[in-house]
Amino acid sequence: MAFYIGRLGFGPELRLLGCKTMRCLGADSRNVVTSPAMFLPRSTTMDSKAEGSAEKRVGAKKLSKGTSPLSIDSPTADLNMRYKYPEMFPEPFMIWRNPLKEKLERKDMLSRRSRIYIPEFYVGSVLRVTLSNFHQPDKTSTFVGICIQREECGLKATFILRNVIDNLGVEIKLELYDPRLQKIEVLRLERRLDTHLRYLRDCPPEYSTFPLDMKAEIRRTDEVPLNRMKVRLNPRPWTEWWHKYDYKGIENLTEHISDKMKKRRQILAKPWEKYDLMKTYRATLPEEDMAEILEEIKEDVENHEQKHKRRGA
Amino acid sequence: MAALRSRVLSVFQGIHASSKIPLPLLDVRFEVCVTQVRGNRFLGIPKFRHPYWHLRKDRAHYAENLTPENKEFIRETIAKDYGPPSVISGVQTYDSPLKNIHKVESIEWFPGVRRTSTIAKKIGIQPLWLKDGTRVMASLLHIADNHVIRYNPPEQVIPMRHRKKVVPQKTLGKFGALIVGAESADPQEFTKEYCGLFKESGLPPKRKLARFLISPQAVLPAGTPLNALHYRVGDYVDVTGQTIQRGFQGVMKRWGFKGLRATHGVTKSHRRPGNIGAGGNKARVWPGKKMPGFMGGRYRTLRGLQILRINTEYNVLYVIGQNIPGQINSYVYVHDSLCRHRWVTEAKDARPLPTYIPKDSEGSPPENLYAPDVHRFDDPTITFEIVDTPVVRTGAKIAKAKGSKAK
Repeated sequence: MAFYIGRLGFGPELRLLGCKTMRCLGADSRNVVTSPAMFLPRSTTMDSKAEGSAEKRVGAKKLSKGTSPLSIDSPTADLNMRYKYPEMFPEPFMIWRNPLKEKLERKDMLSRRSRIYIPEFYVGSVLRVTLSNFHQPDKTSTFVGICIQREECGLKATFILRNVIDNLGVEIKLELYDPRLQKIEVLRLERRLDTHLRYLRDCPPEYSTFPLDMKAEIRRTDEVPLNRMKVRLNPRPWTEWWHKYDYKGIENLTEHISDKMKKRRQILAKPWEKYDLMKTYRATLPEEDMAEILEEIKEDVENHEQKHKRRGA
Repeated sequence: MAALRSRVLSVFQGIHASSKIPLPLLDVRFEVCVTQVRGNRFLGIPKFRHPYWHLRKDRAHYAENLTPENKEFIRETIAKDYGPPSVISGVQTYDSPLKNIHKVESIEWFPGVRRTSTIAKKIGIQPLWLKDGTRVMASLLHIADNHVIRYNPPEQVIPMRHRKKVVPQKTLGKFGALIVGAESADPQEFTKEYCGLFKESGLPPKRKLARFLISPQAVLPAGTPLNALHYRVGDYVDVTGQTIQRGFQGVMKRWGFKGLRATHGVTKSHRRPGNIGAGGNKARVWPGKKMPGFMGGRYRTLRGLQILRINTEYNVLYVIGQNIPGQINSYVYVHDSLCRHRWVTEAKDARPLPTYIPKDSEGSPPENLYAPDVHRFDDPTITFEIVDTPVVRTGAKIAKAKGSKAK
């Protein structure tokens, strides 16, 4: 999900995500400024083009030395696991939290995972989903599309798939733990530059067109590749005000906006927010809490993965 | 503000007493770290006085300057009275062999019997799926460490006074009052007189006390624990809670008024109520006119909610609905439903009376109990069977057939 927060700055992303999915980052407030690389999953590729600010260089140095940016004194749990299971972490808002409820919810999630293999996927990955559907003649429906958004925590976790079928954009919002989901296949596993790709709704259809009989691509490494593709927006009107936020994946935003909108964009920009430690603290889970949760789910999840691998072989 | 400051300072001194940091090293700026607590500020309502079965609970936390030996002694004394502190069913409590444990005997159901309600904590909301694939939202109500504290027989019950409501005379003397407490706590948190309320039951003082009106036949002895199995899956309950405090709100938020127009010459009145009364002889505002004011913080009941699932290990009820009054982590009262078609009318449907009594022969109940139409998360994926639909004759065809017969 939101791996690039450290590099993009927190402000717009936080607001877009409704401060929700940020929680899964679980960034320690102390590390945010010094090591943006901590937001990267296992493939720790740094952006070679954009080495403008001092923080980035610090992050790059840290990586080149081969030290783990994640756990300095954290417990033994593999914190990299957090990117795989973002919905396992609780909601960000303190007064909505309750440890007992979170525990019971996690139990339910794991017992659902014993019945369906929920693979690792990110915003930008292409999935095929099979769903029980009462209204279809054969009682199942299948959909292929690119994941443009992942939201919410716990059993409420959802994702949106988008495709263009017969020149018509089609989106389907699914719940990850819906017992009607029969199968989730990852056809192409990759990440994109932004935490969500809702702006594909206002782009030419070629960016979100995938054949319905698409075959799964073969993965050569364990790393999740980062697709640096930048898309071109259609002229206005848009479904959302894309100029208000700083998206890395949009190429031609300034072409379509008026001078007034450009001014507005400048006013709304909050470059200082990446230094706001309190904001990061409120929007993320402490590393210790995260390690505890990962420790709790680790065994079940690993057993489940192995079971799936054996079945696949 | 002065009161707040003194409170914070006392906490600050308490921290100082417990730590070994010399006083001058702690900055006085610590005062600023006060979280604002929003309270009820209704105008014209008399100051809250405790009812006769409840006493002043909160005490001033002044600096006691206890030595470590003193603290150790207090801890030992508490452990001697109430047992060592321990976590039971996910709740921090005291592992006490109850002093007044009586054997509860079940009674026979009779029409109009009313058994005790329980105090629960609203801990969150999550989706559940039914077997036909429907998604429903369920609220999780945690019945945390509930015990019966005391019973007042009907002749001792003084009905609650209310400014507007009049207590119907026919209910007087009909119901006894059972006082139930939730969540045991350290007695040092409360006043001496509040702790005295629990002497009879031999329990540590509870964070929350509530009084429920019950039939005298359904009485429970003091010290009886109440758990989630007091209810059954599929039962209907009414849930009472204090709604979320919204503060002073305008008519649009408080009463759902439409406000005035955004344009067409309207200035500075986009969210105002508009006209509030007529002129002439009636040149005044009628009583009960919907106006801006304090919103929320009232006790409200949501009725007729079905229990979809019960977690017996942690005593959690999964009740249908996502609009149970109260914030998450606030206390709510769970009553047997008094809705007309939801209450028990026959002895065969009777709920456990006066409460669930575990039997040794049955063994421990399963961890999760589900209502029959609820999908379990470890069940296989929901699939729908392909059914060959029979050919249905249309009206025209039937008419044709009939016509041919007539010929």
